[in-house]
Amino acid sequence: MNFRRLKDAFAGRLMLAAAVFSSVLVFIVAIALYLRSEPILEVKSLGELLLGSAWLPSQSIFGFYPFILGTVIVTALAMVFAIPLSILSAVYLAEYANERLKSIVLPLIDLLAGIPPVVFGVFGVLAVVPLVAGIAPLFKDSGIPFLNGGGYATGYSVLAGGIVLAIMVFPIIISISYEVFKAVPFEVREASLSLGATRWQTIKHAVIRTALPGIAAAVILGFSRAIGETMAVLMVVGNVVKIPSSIFDSTYPLTALIANNYGEMMSIPLYDSALLLAALILMLIILFSTLGARLILVRIERRMHG
Amino acid sequence: MSHITIQNLSAFYGDHHALRDITVEIPEKLITAIIGPSGCGKSTLLKCFNRLIDLTDGARVSGKIIVGNMDVLNGGTDVTDVRRRMGLLPQKPNPLPMSIYDNVAYGPRLHGVKEKKKLDEIVEKYLKIGGLWDEVRDRLKSPASKLSIGQQQRLCLARGLAVEPEIILCDEPTSALDPVSSQHIEQQLLKLKNDYTIVIVTHNIHQAMRLADYVIHLYLGELVEHGPANEVLENPKEERTRAYINGTFLADVKADQEINLKGNMCPYNFVYAKQALHALEKGKILKLIVDDPTAVTEVPRGMEAGGHEVVSVRQQNKTDWEIIIRKKS
Repeated sequence: MNFRRLKDAFAGRLMLAAAVFSSVLVFIVAIALYLRSEPILEVKSLGELLLGSAWLPSQSIFGFYPFILGTVIVTALAMVFAIPLSILSAVYLAEYANERLKSIVLPLIDLLAGIPPVVFGVFGVLAVVPLVAGIAPLFKDSGIPFLNGGGYATGYSVLAGGIVLAIMVFPIIISISYEVFKAVPFEVREASLSLGATRWQTIKHAVIRTALPGIAAAVILGFSRAIGETMAVLMVVGNVVKIPSSIFDSTYPLTALIANNYGEMMSIPLYDSALLLAALILMLIILFSTLGARLILVRIERRMHG
Repeated sequence: MSHITIQNLSAFYGDHHALRDITVEIPEKLITAIIGPSGCGKSTLLKCFNRLIDLTDGARVSGKIIVGNMDVLNGGTDVTDVRRRMGLLPQKPNPLPMSIYDNVAYGPRLHGVKEKKKLDEIVEKYLKIGGLWDEVRDRLKSPASKLSIGQQQRLCLARGLAVEPEIILCDEPTSALDPVSSQHIEQQLLKLKNDYTIVIVTHNIHQAMRLADYVIHLYLGELVEHGPANEVLENPKEERTRAYINGTFLADVKADQEINLKGNMCPYNFVYAKQALHALEKGKILKLIVDDPTAVTEVPRGMEAGGHEVVSVRQQNKTDWEIIIRKKS
C-alpha cells in the first residue's frame, strides 16, 4: 500500500522534473549564449554591433546589420508568399473541397512538411535559383523599389530564399489552419447563412473571424520555422555580406552566418564571440516577434469573446 | 390566408426517410406550432423552409414549398433571397464572434446598408423590438458572447429581424433558456405576430398552448393532424395526436419485457425486436432501447406495418431512445 503511494509521489515528481527541465532549457541556452558573447559586448558598443554594416573579422570589425536585415527580409518575403497561399488553400479544403479531393491533397501536404530542409535547398538551387535568374532581367529597369534588378543576376537572392522558405512553411500553416477552420462551430455558419449571406460572405465575415486566433497561431508557428531555417536558405541566398537593395540581390541571413562560419577561423580574436552573439540576436528576434504576436492574439480574442 | 404552402414534401438523409409526403399550409401573421416527439422531423421541416438542409451531407428534398410567389426548393431560386425572407431563431443562441452592434448590423451590411447613421437606426430599432435595447444601450460595442444566454437569444431574434424577413422560424427557441428568459422570448413572439408569420418548433405542449394559433402535428416524419390550435390541442381528431398530447403527461407504461438493442444496426435491431415480440403473448408490452437513429423511425414503422401498436417513442438521453410496442396480432 505504502509502496503504491510512494510510486505515485515519485511519478508526479518525475514528470514535474521533466516539465521543469524542458522549460528551463530555453533560459539555459539564452544564458550560455550571453556568457559566450560577452567578450565582444565588452569591447564594442551594442549600437556599433547592431547598426554597423561592415563585416571584417580580421580587422576586428563586426557589423550585424546586413545579417539582421537579411534574416528579416527573407522571412518577411516568405511570409508574404506563404500566408495568402496557405490560408486560401486551407479555406478551400475546409469549406469547398469534397471528401475525395481532401483525401488526396491533405496527405500530400503533410508529406511536403516532412521533407528535410536540405532537399528543399537542392530543389531551390536546381529550380528556383534559375527561375529567379531568368525573371530578374525583366525587372532590370522597372523603377519599382526593391524590384530593380541590378545588372547581372545570378538568381542566388532574397527572392529565391523567400520562395524556398515559403514552400517549406506553407504545409505547416495549411494543415493547422485547416484544422482551425474545421473546428469553427456549425452554428456560426448557420447564423450567417440564415441571415441571407452567401457562402463567401459567411467565410469572409464569420468563419475567418472566428478562426482568426487559430490562424494567427498557425502563422506564428510558420514564422518561427521560417526565421530559424538554415540549410535550405543558405544554399540559395548567395551569402554575400551587403545590404540588399532589391529582392534580386544576394543576402546573408544570421542563420547562414552561424552555420557557414562556426568552427572555422576561430583563431581570429572575438570571432567566436561574434558568432554566438549572432545566435543570441536570432533568438531574441524570434522571442520578441513571437511574444508580440501572442499579445496581438490575446487582444483579438479579448475583442471577440471578452 | 396561407403564407407558406407545402406540397408533397419529402426529405431524406441518406436512406433515412425523415419527412413523408407532407402537404399543409401555414397561415399568415399567426403563430404556427409544429409539435411532435423528438426525431419526428420537426426541425427538418423548418430546415427545408430556409434551405439550411442543403448544408447537411446526403440530404435530399422533393416536393414543393411556396412562399408568396417564391418556389423555395427550385434550384433556380436564389437561396440567399429565401433566407433573407425568413429569420431563424435557433435552439441554442448563436451570436457571431463580434460586438452586440455588429451582430445586429451583420445582416443589413450584407445586403448593402453602409451608412453609419442608417445602421445605428436599424440596430436601435431591432434591439428595441427584440426587447434588449434597455439592457445593452450602453455597451453596444462589447462582445455579444458576454451577454447572458437569455439576452443572447433576444439578440439573435433582433439580428434575424434586422434583415426584415416576413417569416420567423423558431427551432425550439427556449429549450436552452431558463424559465424567465423563456417567458421573455415568448412575450416577444406574441408581440411580433401582428407583423410576422411565425413558425415555432416545440416539443413543449404547454408552450404550444400558450403561443400557437395553428398547430401541425408530425409523427415519425408523417403529418398526423393540423388545424387551429384549440381544435388540435383540445379536441384532437387523430388517436396519435391524443396519445402524444396526453403522452407527455403519461406515466411510464409497465413493460412485460425489455430488451436492449444498443449497438445494433438496422436491420438487426428490427429482427431482434421482431423475434422478441414473437415470443410474447397478444396484448403484452415490449420495451426496446435503441441508439441507432434509423431504428428510431424504422422500427416503429415496421411494427405498425406488422399490425402492432406503437405506444410511445421517447428520447431518453443524447443517444438512447425508448420504443414501447403492444403486441396486437
